[in-house]
Amino acid sequence: MNNLLIKIDNLKKVYYSEELETHALSDISLSIAKGDYVSISGPSGCGKSTLLSVLGLLDTATAGRYVLAGHDVSNLPNKERARIRNQEIGFIFQSFNLISDLDVKENVALPLTYRRDLSKAQRKQWVKDALDKVDMSHRAKHYPSQLSGGQQQRVAVARAIAGKPSLLLADEPTGNLDSKNAEAVMQLLDKLHADGATICMVTHDPRSASQAKRRLEVLDGRIVSDRLQLNPQSEDKHHVYAK
Amino acid sequence: MFMLSDCRYALRLLAKSPGFTALTTLVMAAGIGLSLYLFSFINTMVFKDLPFTDGDSLVQISQSRHGALEGNPLNYQDYQMLREAVQGLDEMGAYRNVTVNLSGRDGAVRYSGVRAEPNIFQLTRTQPLMGRTFNQAENLPGAEPVVVIGYDLWKSQFAGASDILERQVKIDGVSHRILGVMPQDYLFPNVAELWLPLNESPAAVSRQQAGRVYGLAHIKSGYSTTEVNQQLALLMERLAQRYPQTNSGLGAYCHSIPLSVAEDGIAVVYSMQVAAVLILFLASFNVGNLLLSRAIERGKETAIRMALGAPRARLISQLLWESILICTLGGIIGLLLLAWGLEVTERVTASFSYGRQVFWFKFGIDAFTLKVFLLFLVSTIFITGFLPAWKNSGGDFNQVLRDGTRGALSKKTGRLNRVLVISEIFLSLTILIVAGVIVVSRYLEERADYGVKTDNILIASVLLPSSRYSQAQQQVTLFNQLQSQLQQQSALGDVMISTALPGMPAPVTAIAIDGKEYLSDQQTSFPRANHILVMPGSLAKLGVELRQGRYFSAQDEGQDKATVIVTDSFVTAHFGDQSPLGKRIRVVDYDGQTPHWLTIVGVVRHVSQDKPSSADGRMPSVFRPYSQLPQAQMVLAMRLKSDVHSATLALRKTLQSLDPELPAYRIETYQAFLTRKTGPMRFLSGVFLLFGCATVLLTASGIYGLMSNTIRQRTQEIGVKRALGACEQRIARQLLLAGAAQLLWGGIPGLIVGCGLGYGMSQVMATPPQALFLIATLLILIIGAVVLTATWLPTRRALSMEPAVALRYE
Ligand SMILES: Nc1ncnc2c1ncn2[C@@H]1O[C@H](COP(=O)(O)OP(=O)(O)O)[C@@H](O)[C@H]1O
Ligand SMILES: [Mg+2]
Repeated sequence: MNNLLIKIDNLKKVYYSEELETHALSDISLSIAKGDYVSISGPSGCGKSTLLSVLGLLDTATAGRYVLAGHDVSNLPNKERARIRNQEIGFIFQSFNLISDLDVKENVALPLTYRRDLSKAQRKQWVKDALDKVDMSHRAKHYPSQLSGGQQQRVAVARAIAGKPSLLLADEPTGNLDSKNAEAVMQLLDKLHADGATICMVTHDPRSASQAKRRLEVLDGRIVSDRLQLNPQSEDKHHVYAK
Repeated sequence: MFMLSDCRYALRLLAKSPGFTALTTLVMAAGIGLSLYLFSFINTMVFKDLPFTDGDSLVQISQSRHGALEGNPLNYQDYQMLREAVQGLDEMGAYRNVTVNLSGRDGAVRYSGVRAEPNIFQLTRTQPLMGRTFNQAENLPGAEPVVVIGYDLWKSQFAGASDILERQVKIDGVSHRILGVMPQDYLFPNVAELWLPLNESPAAVSRQQAGRVYGLAHIKSGYSTTEVNQQLALLMERLAQRYPQTNSGLGAYCHSIPLSVAEDGIAVVYSMQVAAVLILFLASFNVGNLLLSRAIERGKETAIRMALGAPRARLISQLLWESILICTLGGIIGLLLLAWGLEVTERVTASFSYGRQVFWFKFGIDAFTLKVFLLFLVSTIFITGFLPAWKNSGGDFNQVLRDGTRGALSKKTGRLNRVLVISEIFLSLTILIVAGVIVVSRYLEERADYGVKTDNILIASVLLPSSRYSQAQQQVTLFNQLQSQLQQQSALGDVMISTALPGMPAPVTAIAIDGKEYLSDQQTSFPRANHILVMPGSLAKLGVELRQGRYFSAQDEGQDKATVIVTDSFVTAHFGDQSPLGKRIRVVDYDGQTPHWLTIVGVVRHVSQDKPSSADGRMPSVFRPYSQLPQAQMVLAMRLKSDVHSATLALRKTLQSLDPELPAYRIETYQAFLTRKTGPMRFLSGVFLLFGCATVLLTASGIYGLMSNTIRQRTQEIGVKRALGACEQRIARQLLLAGAAQLLWGGIPGLIVGCGLGYGMSQVMATPPQALFLIATLLILIIGAVVLTATWLPTRRALSMEPAVALRYE
């Protein structure tokens, strides 16, 4: 299956703290194909963020195998992991996580400055492309503190996609936004997916989850449901309003 | 604004973290204690007014040479002229220091005293305890000899007898009538235990014969020291025009008496004061920073409280209460430490002088110290309280609450932290260079080479009273007998006799070299050298190496002989590569009598009459046989064959048998004498070593605290950057580079200021410029290591976290 982007087998993550063991992930196996749009939902503390961190190489699993784009990345040295995060993966966080000392353009350019294979002109072009995609070019010189939450998150999305990663990971990207801004960010992700991006998004907002093609439910560190939504939007919109 | 409830809140916060409270309090105690110590110490030594009525206007007038404040006495005639012409001085008097033999109940004893004009007591507004002081008539030449004695002398020599007045006492073999007894602790002008009239009328003798005196006076109200000094300079210039031969280059200046004693050591004093202020800043910055980082930890809480409507003033008041509590507690502990330190100091400084300590060396917590303490306390409270308050309450609390960006360290805090690190680097480097110069200087001094073998030698001084030894031949005979009899004692080996052993100041005279042209007949146009008289054999026995020619021998004995030995430093300065043997030099007399040429028969290695590193210590010397120019006062150096005690006994016994009224005084080992010379330096360097260590600790902990704070605050930012693919090396490099930049920003000014102060000090200390360079290099390396370690440790900690954990870090 050369269409497979992610394959994990029997993944475990245990946190040890003060004689307390937290089994954040227990025995997770999962495959994600290129071009997938996966939503992960579940109650707070069930292990969603942990799963996303492991997928994004921000954290190492306690046990299990992780193959990303055909390479086993379970036991890579830190330097190689940093390179993969930089070039293959884009992150979007709930709390935006823009660097306050840097302006919008510099924030978006940041991941590009970590790689050596890009010329200055290329880098400039990529940053411009990313900002255009999220419609934030007009704010390129602003600092994060001068932007609204929705605008900050759009810049964060631009930063995530600037390096043309093969995988986009978003941890509750709309969690800190009002519904109107949330809507805009979701549409942005939709558009990126339509352009071919593979997206993994944690959300416990059912309305956001309903936009995804494939929906995972996590409970106590296990995947308890994994289903495809053939006609994503309509069905669940209804569900939300019915509630 | 300072609400009591805020005080209680601050107390609760401090009680909640006893470790933090203890640490900050101790840092403050160390800072206040150490810098207050220096201020109090220096003030007592040189700046404090003498403890007399009108002591603040009391000054001493001394002579300067080519602008250098030499602290020498003036020609009495010159002083008379000043007395008539100077505007800003009142009650001008004169004195000179003398040491005398007083025949008391246990034989003759040496005392320090002064010969003075009668108003010396009035100058200090002090009445005698008993009797009266001498008057103008008793000060006339040829008047009946009288004396006023000090309290301790009265107690020790006369058992405090109540009928002491009008008794006769033999001083230098002459009967003196005791007129009065001065109160306890009265040692004016510095260590006098008895006061004799000057009995001199300068007008009656030639300029050359006039004695030398220090002036004493009160500055008239309405005049400043500077104005008076300008007048004195002008008057002396006029004298120099009138008497160019003796006076060109000579000036006069007035100083408080303690300042006169400090002389050019004043440069060191100023550096010490700068260091003292800096260490106070350092401690304040550290405590301020500790409070700041706690305030940042409480930042969210503060923001919430403000959102809930707490007025800004209340928040500032709480922060200020915290620093008030810490600084006051620390200050009180510091004050207690200081009291103890000053007590130790009094004991230590007492060992610097052989006899009595100058009377104003009374260390303790005085009004000045308390005033400075209060000033320090207020400044530290201001600095420590101001920093956190500024950071915390000035900002937009709303932004703290909604701040979703990463780089959680707000711009302002970041900048403040950087400024603090830079200041700490600057301060510590400056203090450390000053301390380093002092410590190295002491090290060099202790290793100083005086040009002689100094071990296992007992030294003693003998002064022949002029009343019974007026003839040169009498003097020669006595010292010859003394030498041969001492050498027969089993407790003693070789006996060397000289006017001044290496390490002891010798008279400096102008020397003319045969065949050289001199610009004029003026004293000042001739080269100068120490003029020392020795008993033949003494130089060789002391281990002064012969370089050319020969030592003195029996053929040089006698007042009709004219031979001289010079040091190689003298040869280098005046003969270059030529052999000086057989060449002639002469001592330039004031009255320019017929030249008395002396033939150079030998060259010896340079010996130092003062600390070898000092300018005086580098002065070349000329030696002449004692019998060619007999002197009344000589120093004995006796090689020990047994212990000091039996050697001392042997000396006393021998003297007793030769002349029962002749005392030996200042009996101690040569080593002890030389050690005492460096005593003040040893003490000072001990204090500064302590200072240096405290500084390194304060700086290391302070910078580490700041750096780890800065980096901890950036944990999330680091997590974000790693999530975006920055590798660890890159992040570590960035942080270390930022640390290095701060090192440069603080280090370069620190080097400049520190080296400036260090250079000023090295002018009067034993530290050559190369040593200063080494000290600076070493210290910047040490501080650099401190900064980089302080950056590296928290960086490593931040990087050891998984990025996922760093991202969640609050
Ligand atoms: N660094 C950590 N140390 C200890 N326990 C952790 C750590 N990170 C997360 N956990 C625990 O792991 C579990 C899963 O956390 P998380 O993945 O953040 O949940 P979710 O994102 O689904 O709310 C929780 O019980 C949480 O307390
Ligand atoms: Mg989560």
